[in-house]
Amino acid sequence: MPIVQLGREGRWTNYHGTGTCEAATRFALRSGDAERGRDELAAAAREVREWLAAAQAAGRHVRPLGAGWSPSNINIASHCWLLHTRRFNRCFRIAGDDVRPGVDAASLMLVEAGALVDEVSDKLEAQGRSLWTSGAGNGQTFAGAAATGTHGSMVAHGGIQDHIRAIQIVTPAGAQWVEPTAGVMSDEFIAATGSQAVRDDALFAAAQLPVGALGVVTALVVSSVPRFLVRPIQNLRRVDRRALNWLSAGEFRRFSAAYALDRDPDFVQMIVNPYKPFKRPAMLRFLYREPWRDDCPRATPGELGAGYDALSLLGRLLDDYPWARGWLLQFAMKLGYAGGPDVQDPPVYGSWGEGLDTHRPLADLFNASVTIDRADLAYVFEQICGVYARHGGSTVVTLRFMERAQGLLAPARFAHNAVIDFDGPRSQRTADAYARVVERLDAEGIAFTRHWAKSCNLDAARVEIDYGEDFRRWCAARDRLIPDPAHRRLFASDVLDGLGLTC
Amino acid sequence: MMMWMGWGLCALLLFALYGQYLTGQADIFVSIANPRPLDEERMVVTLKGWGFASAARLPFVTPEADHGLCDLRVFATRRQMLVAIATLGYLRPVTVAWRAHAGVQPLGVA
Ligand SMILES: Cc1cc2nc3c(=O)[nH]c(=O)nc-3n(C[C@H](O)[C@H](O)[C@H](O)COP(=O)(O)OP(=O)(O)OC[C@H]3O[C@@H](n4cnc5c(N)ncnc54)[C@H](O)[C@@H]3O)c2cc1C
Repeated sequence: MPIVQLGREGRWTNYHGTGTCEAATRFALRSGDAERGRDELAAAAREVREWLAAAQAAGRHVRPLGAGWSPSNINIASHCWLLHTRRFNRCFRIAGDDVRPGVDAASLMLVEAGALVDEVSDKLEAQGRSLWTSGAGNGQTFAGAAATGTHGSMVAHGGIQDHIRAIQIVTPAGAQWVEPTAGVMSDEFIAATGSQAVRDDALFAAAQLPVGALGVVTALVVSSVPRFLVRPIQNLRRVDRRALNWLSAGEFRRFSAAYALDRDPDFVQMIVNPYKPFKRPAMLRFLYREPWRDDCPRATPGELGAGYDALSLLGRLLDDYPWARGWLLQFAMKLGYAGGPDVQDPPVYGSWGEGLDTHRPLADLFNASVTIDRADLAYVFEQICGVYARHGGSTVVTLRFMERAQGLLAPARFAHNAVIDFDGPRSQRTADAYARVVERLDAEGIAFTRHWAKSCNLDAARVEIDYGEDFRRWCAARDRLIPDPAHRRLFASDVLDGLGLTC
Repeated sequence: MMMWMGWGLCALLLFALYGQYLTGQADIFVSIANPRPLDEERMVVTLKGWGFASAARLPFVTPEADHGLCDLRVFATRRQMLVAIATLGYLRPVTVAWRAHAGVQPLGVA
């Protein structure tokens, strides 16, 4: 049976320890051993539907869970039934006759919703394929990462949800297979998954980024590109203020030439100490994409510079010694950054998936971000650092870049985006300092959005303003996908209600 | 002279104790390569009688460990270290945390 109950009613705490579900009854959705993926999905859809009906009969809300990584508490609901999905994690090759004419089956893979991004990367790589972007970590489930618009940020790409070509969603009314109007999978395939085909661009754009409010996502069809190598360059450099103008204008090549290689980079990340961002050296990381070859010097994930949040262990010190924050952060940056490979070091290579990290739960983290129009970067970046540092923010500030992402509720909604992350040790002072940054951006009239998964203090009124017409289209799509208000309420939680997504 | 040496020794012992207090809170972390972790589970194991009773009858129950474990942490909280120091090491509580593995399934056909 794919759904099993885990223990008795009790507490469940998310990965970051930012939220606890009280009186939660925990269930796990597990993969079966059906020979074909479509049969697995049909069985799972049936079982999830019955489970939803049982929850409704018991008068409980439900909350599907991925890896539980989101610190914004969108994965938290009390007195509810939780559905853990991480053991629902099989991946399946798609054949030519599973898809509609004209669709390239070799670029697609069927993924059960609980497969980790890492797992998806591995399975694609085994077929000579790769994701083209993802987050800095890879321990999220694919459905959970897409649910919040996780991004990594390849400068020429959007979010992880851009990979999705079709989604199976289960609600108490049944299973729906949501695709763009042009269609992807064959009618026979969809019928065999026990779902009803819904080919509609508007619904698909909503379902690509559902924020956990559109039902239980059980499977995804994920698109890929031929696998490629990345060459990382990492260094600590004092960045000139003028270089912000280049980044603002998208002149990544120029930035790269000044601080790393004279080549077009595919990924650019700058981690600064908000206490004197241009006086103290910043941690720079570039990735350069190259065609795949088997005979290149391969590096371990550590050498590839996987992850970037190794600074979390200094949390207590930063809180205890506020006067030494600038210095401590700089010290942490030095310690926490895997040394090199710099320009003069022999080049090392790895696949895209190898450059990501599954993350270790060693410390309490604070994660927040703002996504702004890249054109505004030069004007506001120093102000942001100034306000943040002045109010005692105790994390580094990370700058990454990406293009507009798909999905009506994608935070990366500008044509070219600069994503500014505040990731590090958790403290109330840091959360307050982030709130002051938000106030400053508002006061300056700078448009920005916030990450669904991070501790960004969003509310319904703000969501409506930030996403405007797209928010109304998302709500209309939700009401078409789940027409019965009682069924919509099944997926409600205080947090999602507070965001205006489930009420 | 003897008195100063006595004080010096006392200070040294205090430092040694403080060092033990700090280092006891260090996080010892071992992980398999390529983990696929489920939720973290924890238990507190209390060594009694300076470790003589370390084979405490504690059931190592983890509900979903049929695919093995991904990683394991051993550490003491501040409070646990204070208990160890206050009881002169007679009681030594440590926290053991682990994450079970979600399993890696072979690539199937759709
Ligand atoms: C160490 C770390 C690094 C990170 N790095 C980045 C980064 O580089 N870039 C970035 O953008 N973000 C990053 N994040 C944020 C992270 O990507 C998001 O929190 C992501 O949503 C987590 O995925 P998850 O599987 O843990 O989902 P969860 O947190 O478990 O769930 C997120 C939401 O999706 C819903 N959901 C999950 N699964 C399903 C399902 N099957 N059906 C329906 N709803 C579902 C949940 O109910 C919840 O509402 C990072 C987080 C951490 C902890």
